[in-house]
Amino acid sequence: MEAGKLIKPPVEVRYAQELEALRAVDDGIRPENWKMSPRAVRTFILGSREPIEYNGRSYQIQKKYFGNDALVERCIITLAGNRGLMLVGEPGTAKTMLSELLSAAVSGVSTNTIQGTAGTTEDMIKYSWNYALLLAKGPAREALVPAPLYIGMEKGVITRFEEITRTPAEIQDSLISVLSDKVLNVPELEEDGFLFARPGFNVIGTANTRDKGVNEMSSALKRRFNFETVMPVREAALEKQIIQNEVNALAEEAHIQMQADEDVAEILASTYHELREGISSYGHRIDKPAAVMSTAEAVSVYYQTMITGYYYGNGSISVDALVQNLVGAVSKENKEDLEKVKAYFNTVIRDKSSKEGGVWKQYYEAKKWLK
Amino acid sequence: METILRSKEMVEITFLPIRHHSPACAWHVKQVIEELRPALLLVEGPCNANELIPLMTDEETKAPFSVYYSYRDRMGRISGEKGHYRCYYPFLDYSPELVALREGGKLGIETAFIDLPYAEILAATRQGRGLLQDVEKPNYNDDYLLSRNRYLQQLCEKAGLRSFDEFWEKYFEIRGIRETSETWFSHLSTYCELARRDTPQEALEAEGCLEREAFMAARILEHAKRLSVRGEKAGSDACRRIVVVTGGFHTAGLKSLVSGEQKSDLQKKRIGAEDQEVYIMPYSMEAADALNGYASGMPCPGFYQKIWEGLEPGAFPYHETVLDMLVTTGKAVRRKSELLSTYDEICALQMADGLAALRGKPEPGAYELRDAVLSAFIKGECNLATDQPLRILKEQMTGRQMGKLGKDAAVPPIICDFEIQCKRFGIKSRSVLESEVTLSLFAVEKHRCMSMFLQRVVFLQTGFARRIKGPNLQQKKDHNLIREIWKYKWNTQVSAALIDVSVYGGTVEEAAVSMTKQRLQQDMDAGTGAMLLTQVFEMGLEVQMEPVYQRVHELLLQDADFYSLTRALQYFLDMQRLQGLYRTHLELDGLTMMCCQKLITCLPSMTRIRDEDSEKCMNACKLLYQITGHECRSLQEMFFEALTVMEQDTQLHPGLDGCIHGILYGSGRETSEDAAGACRSYLLGTHEQLLKIARFFRGLFFTARDLVFIGSQFTGMLDHFLGSVEGTEFMELLPELRMAFGYFTPGEIDRIAEMAAGLHGKTGEALQRAKEVLPGWYTYGKELDAYVMAMWKD
Repeated sequence: MEAGKLIKPPVEVRYAQELEALRAVDDGIRPENWKMSPRAVRTFILGSREPIEYNGRSYQIQKKYFGNDALVERCIITLAGNRGLMLVGEPGTAKTMLSELLSAAVSGVSTNTIQGTAGTTEDMIKYSWNYALLLAKGPAREALVPAPLYIGMEKGVITRFEEITRTPAEIQDSLISVLSDKVLNVPELEEDGFLFARPGFNVIGTANTRDKGVNEMSSALKRRFNFETVMPVREAALEKQIIQNEVNALAEEAHIQMQADEDVAEILASTYHELREGISSYGHRIDKPAAVMSTAEAVSVYYQTMITGYYYGNGSISVDALVQNLVGAVSKENKEDLEKVKAYFNTVIRDKSSKEGGVWKQYYEAKKWLK
Repeated sequence: METILRSKEMVEITFLPIRHHSPACAWHVKQVIEELRPALLLVEGPCNANELIPLMTDEETKAPFSVYYSYRDRMGRISGEKGHYRCYYPFLDYSPELVALREGGKLGIETAFIDLPYAEILAATRQGRGLLQDVEKPNYNDDYLLSRNRYLQQLCEKAGLRSFDEFWEKYFEIRGIRETSETWFSHLSTYCELARRDTPQEALEAEGCLEREAFMAARILEHAKRLSVRGEKAGSDACRRIVVVTGGFHTAGLKSLVSGEQKSDLQKKRIGAEDQEVYIMPYSMEAADALNGYASGMPCPGFYQKIWEGLEPGAFPYHETVLDMLVTTGKAVRRKSELLSTYDEICALQMADGLAALRGKPEPGAYELRDAVLSAFIKGECNLATDQPLRILKEQMTGRQMGKLGKDAAVPPIICDFEIQCKRFGIKSRSVLESEVTLSLFAVEKHRCMSMFLQRVVFLQTGFARRIKGPNLQQKKDHNLIREIWKYKWNTQVSAALIDVSVYGGTVEEAAVSMTKQRLQQDMDAGTGAMLLTQVFEMGLEVQMEPVYQRVHELLLQDADFYSLTRALQYFLDMQRLQGLYRTHLELDGLTMMCCQKLITCLPSMTRIRDEDSEKCMNACKLLYQITGHECRSLQEMFFEALTVMEQDTQLHPGLDGCIHGILYGSGRETSEDAAGACRSYLLGTHEQLLKIARFFRGLFFTARDLVFIGSQFTGMLDHFLGSVEGTEFMELLPELRMAFGYFTPGEIDRIAEMAAGLHGKTGEALQRAKEVLPGWYTYGKELDAYVMAMWKD
């Protein structure tokens, strides 16, 4: 796979060189079948202070996950143990990204994934059959089509289960015995039907807690996982940095020759931060919108604005477009949210524009698009 | 650890920098003392606590305990306020100072505290800094000096650690117990010197550090001189060895002073010992936990206590303690009927060990323990509903131990007074079982005295007694009761609390008086001030009350809030009327008079009030009417004048209007005809005004309900009113009308009903015999009516 030709290359492709360098210089103890030691996994995700020298090049490992460092450490240790890892939290808190980073670092592959939906069935998780071969050869291994869980166990790699709470409870429960016994029984194959998991196998699940239409997990399944609650970023400054990093990465992938503007990123970060927390940096109390005000949403609003600027606006970012995209992002759930954003502009942004001036003033003037 | 050889005195002085409350530090201090066997051990701590040392090292004294320093600033040396000051110096088993003192006791080494006496530290500190910060429990311990600088922030960031405490635990505790004492102390010295270099000189001065260090250095030199004389006589080296144990932050300063590199200018303004007290009091782990906001050094005292207990060469105390805490937490979680298996505990231990390896710690510490519980014990999203295991763990890590004092511990006079009083009233002051006592408050004088004593003990927040039942003046409840039921129980917290307030006075009564005075100094409204006075009244405090009256007077003057003044007046009135029963005589006449006067002056501005305030305002009018009739008769004319002024406002609230007419009628200044006229003006007014009559009636009946029974005027008007409102409007007014008629007794209601029936040509009996019309019939009748009408039209 070449990174340049994909919309979004998987983590192991995007960071192939970094991973290779890290593996080469890694001298820590590796759990069996892991591609690198826990300490190197930590470095890959949380970055390193000193650059790594490998093959005559030096690699500065960037921090890829912002937020709680201790949480990342706990995740790594969980994966090395006997239990699955379940990342829960509000939408847009980079759970999926963290799970991809972890599996790419640990197993070298982040694509062994079950994408949970209301229609997910057991054969999408474990295995199904190639019916032509099944008819021709009967129930034999060649006729079996392995699904991600089967692959993970067979190869000793991590299986990711996205949005596990979207799948019906009885389908979720098919994981229970596999996670505790580490064996999958394929009755059709008779004596050869036992697939024993190889070391290195584990499951990372992600689950949303705020969305509508989720199914509660059974306690039996909960017992087989260590839970990590991923919280939204609590610092506006960090959020600004995340927006900038992500948008620049997206722009690079799409071959857009533009850089994220720091002032605009700050405006967007503080808007999202304040609306989510319900209080402004000046101390105004704000009505919180019902829509999810996640950092991921802020990134997508900024990126859309950037694309608009790139193709229609001579490569400059317009605050008007930013506000228009913001309207699109917040008025998903209900109409009242837009009113709340309007009220936010009429109080907080008004005060900020008169105090800070500059881009804030433009931002306040762009409130005409809030309708 | 650095040793200076004072050539002049030929004495060897070894400085041990410490952090208060640190198991590793305590362990190394112990090692060094055992090895050096010095002739003298000097420890940081106010020197006026020197005579407590034998008690602190006594075998019967169990940590945690705290040395309590207090100072009454009678001469205004600290500030013009002449306040009471106090501070705590808590000791745990693993406090290096205590370990040093205990070692000294065990090995027969002379020990002494060398810091300035408490009051002088205060005098050397600038307002709002150091020990003069405005905190609930000021702490002598100044470890914050080590953890607040920029240098440390960068250090933590670079090491990827969350806080100073984690940094400390990783490098100085977990790794520290594996190092030799020499290395450990040299690492700490380096750290402290860097921390000090980053602290501005101005801050050192403002917090009194410089003066304290100068004093400590002088003490050290004094002792050195004395020792050298003694050493010459004995001719042995060990006799000339001194070990100085001080907070790491000060060690660098002391060293340069003692070695003569730096000169000090010690200011001499000694404060006498007469107003300073020092006691030792039992303490709890909870109070010692920095996480509870007392900032006494290391958090999680329960956790580190276990580490200290498990410390020995070759042991793995952290691993053992983490395992132990995981298991006890797991057990407690299961007891709360949450699902948790042994396997969860296994996973948690794996997590703790794994994290320790990943973070480069030889053993898992407090942070790994917390992470392990968070990861393995909490099922589902971590929120308030699911974080019980974390809360349980926090309790475990805080610990529950309570300190105990030896029999010889000196007790402050207030405790002696407490015991004497208890004996006098036959209260079992040392009973740990809860006892109950019933007091005939007004019949037996001794019972009233006992109640006064218990009230005082409650006021001092000792937690010794609580009142179960009895008249409550503060909440204006249960005034009809004549007995009080009290429950009381002793525990060590009681004596700690009494020591805590000993700065306020030598007896329970004296302390209660001073505390009342102090509390009154706070910002409060007149109502709250008067409520505090009711406590004084219940406590029966009569002597030295002049400043209290003055302050309440001041509060009354400052307060312009009508309702707060009303509350105050109500309290004054209650107290005046109960004086005889309570056998307590406060001089309230002046206060009552002034409050009353102020209320009457405010009254005319209260005409256009909100509906929700009307009841309070009506009550105030009634109260003023009562009081100007008795206690403050001289103000009666002024009161009626104010009412007349109010009447002239056409926008007067209808409820208040009714209330005032009632009062004027009751006092004979108006006839029933006048009241009826006022009522009629609403009745004949616009529809809006007509609807207000419900409120008017409420006000009127509140003060003069007998009006209804004079002639049939009022019933007639009521009838007219009810006849002219629509069904929906009636429903809206119904609550107000109900309130209006709530002032009548059932018998009176009967009479009104009879009068109303008379207006429609029925008798009261006929009303009672009348058959009920069911809603169904009524609807049917209406439908039938409509049908017939329609038929006719056709």
